[in-house]
Amino acid sequence: MITTEELQVVALSLQVAAVGTLLALPFALWIGWFLAKSSLPGKALLDTLVSFPLVLPPVATGYVLLLIMGREGPVGKALQSWFGIDVVFTWVAAALAAGLVAMPLMVRAIEVAVAGVDPRLEFASRSLGAGRLWAFFTITAPLARRGIIAAVLLGFARGLGEFGATIVVAGNIPGRTQTIPLFVFNRIQVGDDAAAVRLIVASMVLALLALLVHQHLVRRQPART
Amino acid sequence: MAGPFLEVTATKRYPTFELKVDASVPPGITAVFGPSGSGKTTILDCIAGLKHPEEGEISLNGRVLASSSRKVRLKPEERRIGYMFQEGLLFPHYSVIDNISYGYKRTPRERRWIQPDHLVELLDLGSLLERRPGNLSSGERQRVALARALATSPELLLLDEPLSALDMGLRGRILRYLKAVHRDLAIPMLYVSHAISEVMAIADMVLVLSHGKQLAFDQPRKVLLEPYVHSLVGSGSLENMLDGQVEEHLPPGSLTAVRSGDALLWLSGIPGERPPETPISVAIPARDIIVALDVPSRMSARNILHGRVESIHPIDNNVLVYADVGTSIMAEITPEALENLGLREGQDVYLVIKSSSIIALD
Repeated sequence: MITTEELQVVALSLQVAAVGTLLALPFALWIGWFLAKSSLPGKALLDTLVSFPLVLPPVATGYVLLLIMGREGPVGKALQSWFGIDVVFTWVAAALAAGLVAMPLMVRAIEVAVAGVDPRLEFASRSLGAGRLWAFFTITAPLARRGIIAAVLLGFARGLGEFGATIVVAGNIPGRTQTIPLFVFNRIQVGDDAAAVRLIVASMVLALLALLVHQHLVRRQPART
Repeated sequence: MAGPFLEVTATKRYPTFELKVDASVPPGITAVFGPSGSGKTTILDCIAGLKHPEEGEISLNGRVLASSSRKVRLKPEERRIGYMFQEGLLFPHYSVIDNISYGYKRTPRERRWIQPDHLVELLDLGSLLERRPGNLSSGERQRVALARALATSPELLLLDEPLSALDMGLRGRILRYLKAVHRDLAIPMLYVSHAISEVMAIADMVLVLSHGKQLAFDQPRKVLLEPYVHSLVGSGSLENMLDGQVEEHLPPGSLTAVRSGDALLWLSGIPGERPPETPISVAIPARDIIVALDVPSRMSARNILHGRVESIHPIDNNVLVYADVGTSIMAEITPEALENLGLREGQDVYLVIKSSSIIALD
């Protein structure tokens, strides 16, 4: 049966994927909203930039993240000097990697969901005294909620499977940054196929669950509320 | 009438189209009239702050809302303008009462002078409050949209074709609600419409637009007589829209008498039970009215209204005759008929109208 160590790996993976997705969500909402609404020339550039991690080898994404978050990187340096925090090779770095690779998928799904809401409803909200943010959170977001939840699940599922970027920026430290894919890789390397299979099955179950709920949300007609 | 409260000088450019408007709008109800595609909604959007003119200045009660020269551009939520959209645009995930209070809650306390409770009463929304917009009829939706816009205590109410989504039968009712709102709250309104009879029925002033150009800005009756306006109206579409109340019914299914002003009109086949004194609006196409000099007898038409010619206006290939028969009614006749009858102002006339030519609007 599954061991305590393996359960901890699963728990850490869930934590990393969940935190990564939640960190990515505000950005994904903002960018998705912007892409759905805007017709400015900057849109194409942002569109390409957001899609980049989707086609880039995750290892490269991880390396870029390492450059930014590392001790010599702009963000890493600041965190180090202001708070004495070193993010690299911690589970937080793994979460950042998961969030970054999940973001393009989330942005796409959110863009589609937001574009499905009549933009004049937001106009109506503005004319009733609401600012942009309030209009978004009281009108567009609730009406696009299925798509937004679906985006979160998709991002979560993607985050669970993240390997390349994670190993670069967070390493493969048992008990600290070793998520399911890293654990599986590690066990295959040492010839412990039984353990690898157990966690492969576990990740299959998790991914399948997330995708099933996602499908359910996307397939169902928007509620006639 | 008081001086202007809304000043609009605006130019908005599109690749194939330029909208240019220059008007000092007095309080009251002002219509923006023109065929579809003439830029009517764009004017409202510019005033509401949803679109931005390239040039010009818009000010409301002395407050500059937008100005290209002074680099002012207030956000929609800072303008204190209510907007009733053509499609209603109620929030589908909120109940009726939550829709109405959406803007009320965002209105600073010191500016709230219209209470949602009052609007619910004025617009007969009491039984609908917990419903979702999806479960409302088109007429109910428009009333809720009206209440929602008014609940922000706006300084100006913009109405974009509020009747166009409605069945013919409901138009009179919404029009009466609009008039009631205007009487009760005295909020200036800017009313976009492509139907001249609506404009005639509700507006004090009308701004006529065609292909983005402002053709006229004057009182509806005067504007209607301009040849270029008449060509926009479309021949045969001139109607008298009159408010009144049910007076009596003849045996079920036959005739109903409606009193409008001092005139009694008989119409046939109005649907539903209408007890006496029920408010009702009716439309009479100007073309369907016969003008006679003597009292006609032994005739099937049920309405013979006696009165006096107020004014005569040749327009296009026809002649508009306004007659006071207890209420003012316009009839459209041919120049030949005018000559033949020798009609002149002040003359005694009879207007003959078939009961089936008078259409109940609700």
